[in-house]
Amino acid sequence: MIFDSFEGFRTSGFKPRLIIIGSGPSGITVARKLGRAGIPVAIFEAGTAEYTEDSQAFYGGKALGDPYFDLDVTRLRYFGGSSNHWAGWCRVMDAEDFEPKAWVPDTGWPIRRTDIEPFLDEVHDILDLVPFRDDEPISDDIRWVQLIKSPAVRFSEKFGSEIAASKTIALVLDTYVTELQGDGTRITGAKVWSAGRDQGIATAECYVPCTGGLENSRLLLWSNERSNGGVVPHAEALGKYWMEHPQFEGGNAIMNNPDQFEMDAVSEAFFSPSRKAMERRRIMNFGIRFIKMPYHGAKWLVAELACLAPETAEWVSSELEGKLRCAAQLYVGWEQAPRADNRIVLSTSQRDNLGIPRIELHWSKSELEHRTLLEGVRLFGETLAAKNYGRVRIADWILNGDPYPTNQELAGNHHMGGTRMGEDLTRSVVDRNQKVHGMANLYVGGSSVFTTSGQCNPTTTIVALSARLGDHLVRVFGGTAMVK
Amino acid sequence: VEETVQKLSAIEAKRRMVLQALVCLPALALFDRHKMQVAEPAGEELVEIGGWILRKSELA
Repeated sequence: MIFDSFEGFRTSGFKPRLIIIGSGPSGITVARKLGRAGIPVAIFEAGTAEYTEDSQAFYGGKALGDPYFDLDVTRLRYFGGSSNHWAGWCRVMDAEDFEPKAWVPDTGWPIRRTDIEPFLDEVHDILDLVPFRDDEPISDDIRWVQLIKSPAVRFSEKFGSEIAASKTIALVLDTYVTELQGDGTRITGAKVWSAGRDQGIATAECYVPCTGGLENSRLLLWSNERSNGGVVPHAEALGKYWMEHPQFEGGNAIMNNPDQFEMDAVSEAFFSPSRKAMERRRIMNFGIRFIKMPYHGAKWLVAELACLAPETAEWVSSELEGKLRCAAQLYVGWEQAPRADNRIVLSTSQRDNLGIPRIELHWSKSELEHRTLLEGVRLFGETLAAKNYGRVRIADWILNGDPYPTNQELAGNHHMGGTRMGEDLTRSVVDRNQKVHGMANLYVGGSSVFTTSGQCNPTTTIVALSARLGDHLVRVFGGTAMVK
Repeated sequence: VEETVQKLSAIEAKRRMVLQALVCLPALALFDRHKMQVAEPAGEELVEIGGWILRKSELA
């Protein structure tokens, strides 16, 4: 069932046992698990079926610290959520990413990769993925890894008709949950705004915010403030340990054999460190994106020259009335260390049209981030030279410790943390089953529960965790769990 | 006439591209010695010069 507003939903008499907030990859994955098990569930989506500027404006906010994207651009507020603009890169976080790193505080999940592996077949079906090949070590330090460029499933397009035909899933559009209300042990209701007016309180047995890696924190921070701590009773870590995947050009390379590594469809190959290398250099995980420029013949020769003699190559290139870059570019995206001071807080000066405080995001990169970038390119270069695969040149700005360039990618638009998973009540918000500490009927879905970020794009892991959460909720609500 | 001029310009641009690439070849030869086709025994000391990560033997 799909309703255009809360009024139609209320009139229908449908009684959900769970209310899921948000219809992105996490919310839809959890809802489909419950719906298929015969458990009635409602998804409240604040936006409508299509993008509108009015809806998107609710996502405005302020980022402080390092340069970051506009908060109303880096995510989408309508049916399907940010799956409507993701690029489709897929990889599940490494087993090592779930383990604690003794050299970095606050790392280590309460679950292991083996806890989500039973759900990976489902994830492949959901994201239309072909099987991943195993990582291939090319040295003791570096693994040749695989990221799959998937068809970038738009969840509204792929699952819209299934949800419309469902008798157990009610998708309710234009329904903004402005606040959850709680008494410190359980959520008692969700305050709803729809069709331009206050619709009162919606109730169910259980509530699952899946509004994304920024908005989950905002909703819970605001709800907790309004309920005097009745929504997140252990709120010390709420909004904190927020993470991104910084991404910058790290250098370039010349290769003995440009076809040394099998490239994907967009002429890219990916490399990550071994755990031993991370431990030895005391760095986080990283991914080097090796991009072979699509040059041939004379252009390839000039591009190779650009790697070694950039000024000469620039002259030649300008003479050719073209602009050629070094034949192989290295881009680095890396895991950001979880730090409590990277955080989401409620703005004290800016509110949305309904009076809810906007997000103030405090985000910066630390010395560890710079070391991970520098040592990452260095490790890759050492492997290429030692194996005689090629030679790497580290970008000047990294070697010199210059400020991060502002004209590059900056980050991945990957919003992680804020309601992180853990066992320590002062350093986490949800437990291993994604239930908010101390609350009987409040769970959180999506990348806000990431304890650490790993180095890879998060969607695949988000969907795997959400399938696991859905499976858990099916067991809690007495249905038949449906691990495929 | 304009179309003919454009075609001639394109031909000229290609010709210049080939010529300029040929001019580059001696420069390319300078670093081609680094591109050893036969793998060497592992364990050679590596050095970092101007950001380049090289084998020590390549500095001679």
